[in-house]
Amino acid sequence: MSTNESVQNIQEQIVALLPRLRRFARNLVRNPHDADDVVQIAVERALLRLDQWRSDARLDSWLFKIVRNAWIDEVRARGRRAKIFMPEEAGEQIGESSMEREIDRWSAETALSRLPEDQRLAVSLVLVEGLSYKDAAEVLEVPLGTLTSRLARGRDALQAMLRLPEGESS
Amino acid sequence: MTISDETLMAYADGELDAATRASIEAAMQQDPEMAKRVAHHRALREAMRGAFSAVLEEPVPERLIAAARGRITAPKGAVVELAFAREAAARRKTSLGVRWQPAAMAASLLLGVGLGFLAWQSRSGLIQPGPGGGLVAKAALAEVLSTQLSDDRSPALAIAHLSFRAKSGGYCRTFSLTGTDASSGLACREGNAWKIKAWAESPRDAANPGNFRTAASEDSPAVRAAVEASIDGEPLDHAGEIAARQAGWAAAAKR
Repeated sequence: MSTNESVQNIQEQIVALLPRLRRFARNLVRNPHDADDVVQIAVERALLRLDQWRSDARLDSWLFKIVRNAWIDEVRARGRRAKIFMPEEAGEQIGESSMEREIDRWSAETALSRLPEDQRLAVSLVLVEGLSYKDAAEVLEVPLGTLTSRLARGRDALQAMLRLPEGESS
Repeated sequence: MTISDETLMAYADGELDAATRASIEAAMQQDPEMAKRVAHHRALREAMRGAFSAVLEEPVPERLIAAARGRITAPKGAVVELAFAREAAARRKTSLGVRWQPAAMAASLLLGVGLGFLAWQSRSGLIQPGPGGGLVAKAALAEVLSTQLSDDRSPALAIAHLSFRAKSGGYCRTFSLTGTDASSGLACREGNAWKIKAWAESPRDAANPGNFRTAASEDSPAVRAAVEASIDGEPLDHAGEIAARQAGWAAAAKR
């Protein structure tokens, strides 16, 4: 396991995951450049901690967790949350006027960005990134029940915002 | 039969086992309202799946690809807040400016370690106190020492320069670290660890002290003195390194 090849192999797997890491980071950080900064910090950290990655764990989950932690550290360190990070109170500002009838990417993203952070991360990991509840709970370092209830609350809020037509894809 | 909305959500997300799934499907046939709720969950799942997918189509910035491959791109005034660069900056602040003198190096391989270095190494995690005292290489540095051949010149966080067999019988390697405060050192294999025998900050560019430098292509004079004091014969060649690596850098084999 401890060969140059295996390290290079993991590095290339990380390269392949970069688009998804960037997508996840954009759910954390509004400004795309700042989101990429968080990804870069996370990737550097991941390489320094490759020995902590258990090869039976999903590499994407492990990296999402490092991205999330890098973001938390950055927020703490910089104290710039108000400036560059999504304001949590935005979720309360939504009014009837901003509810879209059409479902498109724009409205899905907007609705997602208006969720409180806890719910936004749960929805992002499960519905956008396609992680299982168990993996998502691990990324967020919360019990499964907490993840499930955040996800349920997030979905309720999204349903209200998006007003999806019934039974579209059933 | 009452089924909670969370269970219906889990059903829509494919999280339930076959038995629970079957019972929900049976219940849905009896209860159109329940079927509608499941349809809601599925529609939302579909809608969210496409969210932010435009990011996936964007070209990934080169700096991220470089970072994933363990290469650090030199920041050119851009907002590159490299964790490593930050740590180096923090180290610079706490450093007491302790430098190792080549003359002292020859006398004793493992010298006192500056406070600044201790502050830095505990932050970066690359060099940490070992179980039996002294310092050992960790994480990426340990990985590089164990795996990277000295003629691999790809820029990375840490680079191994030279391998040799010490008079004590074990293998040693010199290395350097990149960063604003580049450094180089000597580590020897003892048991399953790389023990740090010498370490020195690379001379700083006085005209541009904050300048980011890649790892020095050569070992510092202090480290070279440490090598000269302990080397037995000649440094390992390419084949010798491969053989030593295969043997896990174990000291047992005699030439």
